[in-house]
Amino acid sequence: MKLTRRDFIKTNAVAATAAAAGITIPGMNQALAKGPDDIRWDKAACRYCGTGCSVLIGTKDNRIVATQGDPDAPVNKGLNCIKGYFLSKILYGKDRLTQPLLRKTNGKYDKEGDFEPVSWDEAFDIMAEKFKAAQKVSMKENEGKPVEKMTSRVGMFGSGQWTVWEGYAASKLFKAGFRSNNLDPNARHCMASAVGAFIRGFGSDEPMGCYDDLEHADAFVLWGSNMAEMHPILWTRITDTRLTKEGSEVHVLSTYEHRCFDLADNGMIFEPQTDLAILNYIANYIIQNKAYNEDFVNKHVNFKKTPTDIGYGLRPEHELQKKAKNANKGKLSKISFEEYAKSVEEYTLEKAHEISKVPKDKLLRLAKLYADPDKKITSLWTMGFNQHTRGVWANGLMYNVHLLTGKISQPGNGPFSLTGQPSACGTAREVGTFVHRLPADYVIMKKSHRDFAEKIWKLPEGTIPGKKGYHAVLQNRMLKDGKLNAYWVMCNNNMQAAPNMNEEGLPGYRNPDNFIVTSDPYPTVTAMASDLILPTAMWTEKEGAYGNAERRTQFWREQVSAPGEAKSDLWQLMEFSKRFRTDEVWPAELLNKMPEYIGKTLFDVLYANGQVDKFPEETVTDDRGNEYGNHEMKAFGFYPQKGLFEEYRRFQLEGPKKGHEQAHFDVYHKVRGLRWPVVDGKETLWRYKEGYDPYVKAGEDFRFYGKKDGRANIITAPYEPAAESPDKEYDLWLCTGRVLEHWHSGSMTRRVPELYRAFPDAVVFMHPKDAKKRGLKRGMTAKAITRRGEIELQVETRGRNKMPEGLVFIPWFDAGRLVNRLTLDATDPLSKETDYKKCAVKLVRA
Amino acid sequence: MNEYNVCGVVIHVRKEKKQAVIKHLLSIEGLEVHADTEEGRLVVTVESEDKYHVADTIDSFKDIEGVLTASMIYQFCDQPTQDNPNSLNEGVAA
Repeated sequence: MKLTRRDFIKTNAVAATAAAAGITIPGMNQALAKGPDDIRWDKAACRYCGTGCSVLIGTKDNRIVATQGDPDAPVNKGLNCIKGYFLSKILYGKDRLTQPLLRKTNGKYDKEGDFEPVSWDEAFDIMAEKFKAAQKVSMKENEGKPVEKMTSRVGMFGSGQWTVWEGYAASKLFKAGFRSNNLDPNARHCMASAVGAFIRGFGSDEPMGCYDDLEHADAFVLWGSNMAEMHPILWTRITDTRLTKEGSEVHVLSTYEHRCFDLADNGMIFEPQTDLAILNYIANYIIQNKAYNEDFVNKHVNFKKTPTDIGYGLRPEHELQKKAKNANKGKLSKISFEEYAKSVEEYTLEKAHEISKVPKDKLLRLAKLYADPDKKITSLWTMGFNQHTRGVWANGLMYNVHLLTGKISQPGNGPFSLTGQPSACGTAREVGTFVHRLPADYVIMKKSHRDFAEKIWKLPEGTIPGKKGYHAVLQNRMLKDGKLNAYWVMCNNNMQAAPNMNEEGLPGYRNPDNFIVTSDPYPTVTAMASDLILPTAMWTEKEGAYGNAERRTQFWREQVSAPGEAKSDLWQLMEFSKRFRTDEVWPAELLNKMPEYIGKTLFDVLYANGQVDKFPEETVTDDRGNEYGNHEMKAFGFYPQKGLFEEYRRFQLEGPKKGHEQAHFDVYHKVRGLRWPVVDGKETLWRYKEGYDPYVKAGEDFRFYGKKDGRANIITAPYEPAAESPDKEYDLWLCTGRVLEHWHSGSMTRRVPELYRAFPDAVVFMHPKDAKKRGLKRGMTAKAITRRGEIELQVETRGRNKMPEGLVFIPWFDAGRLVNRLTLDATDPLSKETDYKKCAVKLVRA
Repeated sequence: MNEYNVCGVVIHVRKEKKQAVIKHLLSIEGLEVHADTEEGRLVVTVESEDKYHVADTIDSFKDIEGVLTASMIYQFCDQPTQDNPNSLNEGVAA
């Protein structure tokens, strides 16, 4: 029988699909062995979410023509979601940017001018001029100030989609080079509350468990996470467990019914914000029924309380801020077990039901599940907990339940904070791109930590400022107030993503005192609101590394060249640093401490420092002998990705903090990722547990070694209401979020024709009765109005999301219907993360 | 000749709904069910010269009653080469 190329391709498809389903189809492998393969296949981490699936990239003639779920990947075992399925197409959108664009009038930069193409030289000239001018003002303002009080007028908004070395290079350029801590990532909008609770509870960021829990657990509880649409591959793994494991069960909590409810044994709709009360009820139930693990609690836990009535992270002059008794406070104080028990005593079944409106039998079933010593439970959450004005509390209350029962750090037992971005963990959180952080969990507020960073970076003592910079939401406020003037947005779409765009975002970017630069592959809402746009090489157009939600670090090689003059973020950061002489950014007294740096550029000091440039050019190959490009290596004459990664590893290996070790650079190009800490070549699946974590000694059983005494914190916190609730005029809750087909702001997925067509425009999901009351029907155009703005969009009363009365949901992917014109910039006062899930809205006929 | 698209999909269905789901799937043009398991996993391919047909089909799976998840495994999209419009039908092995 003649086998055509088409037959061959289809046979490949069947074989790969059957393998992923765990099915053998006779004769399949034989057929495959016969065909030729003019496609080069290589692994890469998916570009989208924090799951960290590995995909095989099929390249032909410098173009990606096929992708396939990576059958050797432990995360996704050959599976792909629909976004991943169309991954190859994100590089080839019709409006891809291929050269820098600057706003000009009559051939000169003009903030009110139109975008015109310019060379990289011209782009960096004007950008350097603006950054130097702002830096000069900062230096003047900082004269005579101690390093702990320094401020800066330059800043950057970075990304959980940066590769590891891009984030690290940015952290160095801003915190050391420009001496500015005004560096914050978009992960602030998604993960900051999780980080805050990890540090308060365990003294070390990121989950103790891993995805293996999805097969080990007997029960899964979703708290504010629509995994079926946002983490479909992990949801498939849960589905598999639920369908094949006798007695397993799935509980789903949400403020509206979504696709996860299809699999739920116990689905619960609760009033927004009342998750706090439900969590305290479960803790109370466990204590009242003496179901807590006394031995575990005695040996491994401390009890604490946190200040209450802490405000809503709004501008200080806002009424709600002025009213708060303990605005922004979070200092913990020690309490006894008895005091803790007393603090949750009021959260009875009746009270939890009354506040949350969840039927009592459902709440009781959930509490009994957690209390059952024979059930292994994995709790999962994403933005429902994190985007919450009490997000750090909510994360912490979840840990309380797992710590009370000792159901933590063991296979199948553990709280698991999922992430939304591919390297929110690996880059944003781990290499120090937050306003208060340095690489590997060190912080700028501690002098010993700054000293340690300056030693590794070979910088004069006192280079890194000790005052926290402007966090994400504050950056927009400071731009508006004219206190932040030279600003670089890289690898994110923050004009669309940040809250309260009308009152804060747009006025800040368009403030005539400011110069705004955006680096992106596409003309996003953010790029179009800027003054200079830099075209970016994306994803597999460069060598990269991402770290996913289960602490897994994954590398990929450069697969294809970027179009036109598009350059990677790494090239942009390093090349731009050549524009600054040390004396233009540092005062004489600092420079005099290391006179050998006089006359040098920031590039010389930060990147050509004998460490980052240590590894010479080499040919990148795989184990099958294929060769790959590396444009940055070619441009700089050394292997910058390797040099940056190896310098970063010194933070993990040479400091006082243990437990964050990664393997050598070369190892990651050979494996499907490793979960840190990697000690003696071995990854760690469950942290803090003897037998799994190399830092827990024999006989200790558990040790939460992020805390000095090895004990985790149970921190009590009450239910407090949301910042803005529905009232007579704005009579509905507004919740924002995502849909399966689009990833975040849609800047990539909306350029894939198939995905665009599947879900072209944002709609407002609402209950049919709510629609009827307002004279609306499915398919009609409605106007959604809040105190901050209004947008028009179609009404949807059916489909994937079933809304309860009183709450509407609008996805945020649509650049044509910007829901952040409506949202409020209320944040968790501790984590500074915005609550995008709750504000008050009214709907009328358009 | 147009471009050729093929997609391999693993679908999870509720055991008790498996036969009904398969019947529904087989009514879709270009769709084949290659295998299924006791627990409710199906191995499916969708082929078409119209990329939107493939995309719309896989997007429609979630609306079929009894389907819990659909995971894409393999995607191929290629146009025949300019100098050889028949390249996809040529033999590659006997």
